[in-house]
Parts: sequence; C-alpha cells; structure tokens
Amino acid sequence: MQMSRMSSPSIGMDEDSGAGHALTDFLLQLENYSPSIPDSVVAYYLNMSGFESQDPRLIRLIALASQKFLSDIANDALQHCKMRTSSQINQSSKNQKGPKEKKYVMTMEDLVPALQEYGISAKKPHYFV
Amino acid sequence: MSENTEKVESSCDARRRILNIAVSTVLLETGFHATDKMSLETLTEIVQCFLTEVGNSAKGYCELSGRVEPVIGDVMMAIINMGINLQGIEQYAARPNRHVIQPPQQAPVPRTPAMLSAGSKAKPAPHIPFHLPPLPDPHAYIRTPTHKQPVTEYEAIREKAANQKRDIERALTKFLAKTSETHNLFNTDDNQVFPLIACKPTFPAYLPCLLPTDQVFDFDELEYHFQVANRTEDMPADKKDQSDNEGENGGDNENANNSQSENQDAPTSSSPERNKT
Repeated sequence: MQMSRMSSPSIGMDEDSGAGHALTDFLLQLENYSPSIPDSVVAYYLNMSGFESQDPRLIRLIALASQKFLSDIANDALQHCKMRTSSQINQSSKNQKGPKEKKYVMTMEDLVPALQEYGISAKKPHYFV
Repeated sequence: MSENTEKVESSCDARRRILNIAVSTVLLETGFHATDKMSLETLTEIVQCFLTEVGNSAKGYCELSGRVEPVIGDVMMAIINMGINLQGIEQYAARPNRHVIQPPQQAPVPRTPAMLSAGSKAKPAPHIPFHLPPLPDPHAYIRTPTHKQPVTEYEAIREKAANQKRDIERALTKFLAKTSETHNLFNTDDNQVFPLIACKPTFPAYLPCLLPTDQVFDFDELEYHFQVANRTEDMPADKKDQSDNEGENGGDNENANNSQSENQDAPTSSSPERNKT
C-alpha cells in the first residue's frame, strides 16, 4: 500500500499534509521499532471497533500514539507526586537521610489531577455500598 | 450494560493483562517504582478506550471519504480529533530507555479427544464447504440390514420346519440315551452302538410330575424318593437292588400305599421295615 499524498485525498490543508508527510517518513522508520504494546493486542482492540488494517505500520503508529499519551499522563502524575513528596520532606526539616526519597508510588491522588488536565474526570467512590 | 462489558472483558482477559503489563512498563520508564491497583486499572481502561476510540474514528473518516481500507490520514484525523498532541512522537520513539514486551505466544488449541467413535468418518463430498464441521460417524446415517430377507416360500418353510423337528428329536434322544438308563437290543454288555432309552414305567405314572424334586445329593435326608426318569445313578448300591426288586413286584400289588412304600427307597426308619417285609 503506497503511503503517499495521493492516498489521502481527504486531507487538503497544508499543515495536515505537512504533518502527513512527516509522519509518512516516520512511518518508514517505524518498521524497525516496536512499541511496548504488542501488535496483536492493539490489532485486536482495533478490530473490535471495526478498524482492519493489513499494514502493520499503521498499527504501530496507533500503539505508539497511545503509549505517548500514557507517558504524558504518567509524567504529569510524577510531577504531582514529586511536588507532594518535596513538600512533605520540606516540612520534616530534620533530614537524617541525605538523598531524598527516590521511590515514587503512583496513587489515585496523583492520577486524578493529572487526568483532570486532559479532560478525563476519574472519580472513584471512597466507599463501596 | 455493565454486565455486558464484564462479560466481554472476561473473554479477552489475556489481552487485558498484556495491557496491564504494557502500562506498568510505561510507568516504570517514567520513573515510578510502584503503583496501586486502582491507578493501574484506571490507566489500562484509558488505554483500551483510546484504542477503541481511535479505531472507531479512523474507520468513520475512512468511510466518510468513500474508502474501505483506512489510511494514515484517517488515523491522523482521528487522533487529532481526540485532542491528542503528537508533536514529539518521533523523539519519544527514539528514547533510550524503552522496554519491549514479548508478543504473547499462541496457546495450542486443545483437541477434544475422539471419544465413542466407531468406524472412520467419511470424507465430505466436494459440494460441501471445507469450513463446515466434519461428518459424523457412518453408523449415524448409514443403515445396513443385518440379515437377509427371510425365505417366505411355503415349500422351503415346510422343509425347514421338518428339518428342525428332526434335529431336535435326534438331539434329545441322544441326550437321554447318554444320561439315563438304556436298553440293549443285543445280548451284549456294552451298548454303545444302538442305545435305546429304557422304558421303565413308575406306578403311578403321574406322581413324579405332581411332586417335583430337585437334584438329590444326600439320599438320607430325603423324605420321599421317586425314581425320577428311572434314574439309578444317584441311588446307593444296596437300595438300588432292593428298589429294582420292589419295582418289579410293586406292579402286581394293588394297594397303592404299599406300592408307594415299596417303590420308596426311603431312609426313614419305618420304610426299611416295610421294604423288608
């Protein structure tokens, strides 16, 4: 399947065609790189919603996009977590241990504000009825 | 609705677990050392919904422009429409500390053992598509009669009946000749050649039929003894001679009771006295 400008007539704007160009080139590089999520799993979930593609590069692009999305969220959550722990360490001024606590644990407290910035509201009940 | 999704999730449990692993990998790369279950499940759910949504939107864009196979432009439109920023994706792809998960191995399909199969299954005819299940055992749909059509001619049936009757009679007489007393035509001791069933009538003749008895093991325990079919093998030796004598004499006696007691080879105390008298 030819990945060229001609194959995507729906995109006519210059910015998008530029992005399409860049991504087309990127797609060629993608053949060597495999994302963390296996191809078969991504293909399964895409097939469930009707998206069938014989080109594995497209699958890998989607997998990579989801991975990047996830890592963005995780980075934001990490920022929240660091803010929290740094404020706690500053409060306990007596530092027996020189290096700061390096282990970060992701909890819902960090995740919810990080998701909030992306427009995803994840409200879990504190108790189960 | 939630039940439907639960059922769907249970069927693709393995893939969900792989997504869990992938999400954990991404978190590890980010710098986290641990996470709690709820966060992990939330992120996994987000990833699954992301993939589903991208697939849906890309398919929609593809069909909107009159195509059937999605193209990269469709995928890009879908992602951008969702608001995902893909600016630094190339740098992200080239990051140094990336982990790759092994693709899941295909588990072998468990073969149901062929139980209760008799005979070999026939090959499907060429007009049957190959993806249909195989034919059942041939005995399920093929009927072969186990016997020939019996002969219904009158002559043949009469002949068969006559043959059967003759064979039955012959077999029975041979059996009786071998097991019970025999007469001898010739004046020799051994009578192997022409055994005749000895005919020794008992008096009264109907009495053994009215009072049937099982096989006699111990003559001393008998209350009554009849000479069943003139059988003398079971009798003890001394009584046999007496009963033979008594049997010959008993025919002349008109008294039914006396003849009964004479014919008896009874071990009771009263009857030997009667026999001796």
